[in-house]
Amino acid sequence: MAFNLLTTVETGGCSSKIPPGQLEALLKDLPLPVDPKILVDIATHDDAGVYRLTDELALVFTTDFFPPMVSDGYDFGLIAATNSISDVYAMGGTPLLALNIMMFPSATIPLEVYSDIIRGGYDKAREAGVSIIGGHSIDDYPPKYGLAVIGTVHPDRVITNAGVREGDKLILTKPVGAGIILAGHRLNMTGAGQTDGARKMMMRLNNDGARLMQNYGVRGATDITGFGLAGHALKMARASGVTIRLTLDRVPLIEGTYGLAQQGCIPGAAFRNLEYTEAETGFREGLDYNLRMIAHDAQTSGGLLMAIAPDRAAGLLQELHAAGHPEASVIGEAVKREKEVLVLG
Amino acid sequence: MKIVDTRGLTCPAPLIKTRQGLTEAAPGEDVQVVIDNPVSLSNVKRYLADNKLDFTVKEEGGLSIVTVGRGDQTTLAANETEYCTTEPTSPSTGKRVTVVAVTSDKMGDGDDTLGTKLMISFFRTMVMLEPAPDSVVFYNAGVKLAMDDSPVLDHIRELIEKGTGIYLCSTCINHFGIKDRLPVGSFSDMYQILNILKDADHIIRP
Repeated sequence: MAFNLLTTVETGGCSSKIPPGQLEALLKDLPLPVDPKILVDIATHDDAGVYRLTDELALVFTTDFFPPMVSDGYDFGLIAATNSISDVYAMGGTPLLALNIMMFPSATIPLEVYSDIIRGGYDKAREAGVSIIGGHSIDDYPPKYGLAVIGTVHPDRVITNAGVREGDKLILTKPVGAGIILAGHRLNMTGAGQTDGARKMMMRLNNDGARLMQNYGVRGATDITGFGLAGHALKMARASGVTIRLTLDRVPLIEGTYGLAQQGCIPGAAFRNLEYTEAETGFREGLDYNLRMIAHDAQTSGGLLMAIAPDRAAGLLQELHAAGHPEASVIGEAVKREKEVLVLG
Repeated sequence: MKIVDTRGLTCPAPLIKTRQGLTEAAPGEDVQVVIDNPVSLSNVKRYLADNKLDFTVKEEGGLSIVTVGRGDQTTLAANETEYCTTEPTSPSTGKRVTVVAVTSDKMGDGDDTLGTKLMISFFRTMVMLEPAPDSVVFYNAGVKLAMDDSPVLDHIRELIEKGTGIYLCSTCINHFGIKDRLPVGSFSDMYQILNILKDADHIIRP
């Protein structure tokens, strides 16, 4: 019988993040390093840092790790690596190298599980063209895994969450609902095969999205992870000085998400994220309650939310569909800053 | 009084149990939820408040007892006609719920040119129905009728203005690869579609 990693955690994946409001308070007094070569730092809460080496070349640098969100070690490795590498893609970069970050309780979990997790990480890194050249392990319970990843980008073509312009359409590349589906799975509310949609979503690299963003001149984007679609959209709107309007009917959902939310299967992370967004967010009168909570559901290794000039949106969307993102959809737009920074309709 | 005991359960199980209790309780019956941890309490309170249900909280020996007084409220979701109707008739107006299920882009079998003509005529006439149908559900090739070049798009827009819900099967949309060509309608999964059909008093299939 294979070891079930879910027995070690109550919440996994990006649901395990420190609440966003708390994190901002903790970080706000840190002295930011001053260096003109630093193109992106944590001041705008972006996905990764960017450092200019030459006029032609900048480094993209990021890390991410978390406790298991699936039962199988190999799958966990695949998903954790996909998620870690995603931050480089979200900046429009090409990932190159990575280091393993592993916390593993060697006395309480069979050591094969360690190998399975690492093997998943290596396989996904290889798919992304990334070489893992080292890492660090600590004995700790529950297990946690992820990568520190370094990539490159042209300094003039960095895509940040501050690059959204008024009038841009917003495209989301992957469906949401992973947090809800995985919580439902943990509580045996899903039948066999019903987590496949979530697993597939979390294992899908954002490499094609990053490539197409560069082809289409996208300048504003982020990836959707622990703060949920609404949380990340809010951060992007704030950093870009615009208001983002999302039409939640148009947001692609992982099969089964709505039904579970309807039954009350709404993870705590969604409530935390809602507390974070609501002061600056307007909710349309009569907005469906379940959709509102789904928009705040914490995602692990979610899709890219990209801002694109309206006349180019259809072309980008079509290419995303052809590149294996059939769920990619236009879900909203950026407008001149209003009283509310995010509007959910 | 219906008692829901969530002791020992972690999030979101207490919320699921609460929701289940509210659905199972008889109309007007109060529901009492026993909760033993602050996170679940906070989430359950938020959930009830957002769904406009009145409740009180009492602390008792380290436990929180949330009592939901239901008065004459019979449903939970804000959008009750779409998702949560438990009565055979719409609770707000007492009227019968009519749903149109469009399963093809043509009306009837035999001749496709004629079928297209008939479907256009069907939509033109449906706009004149009083009252307008509560929902129109599009699945299989029916979703093509919501596309940007559809001959009935204007009629669909008129229906929306009259308050009719337009629901498009997302599996079908993906199958036909027409996602970026749909200016109207909500993308729906099978759960939602089935609920709409289940809660209908009349289902019309052109």
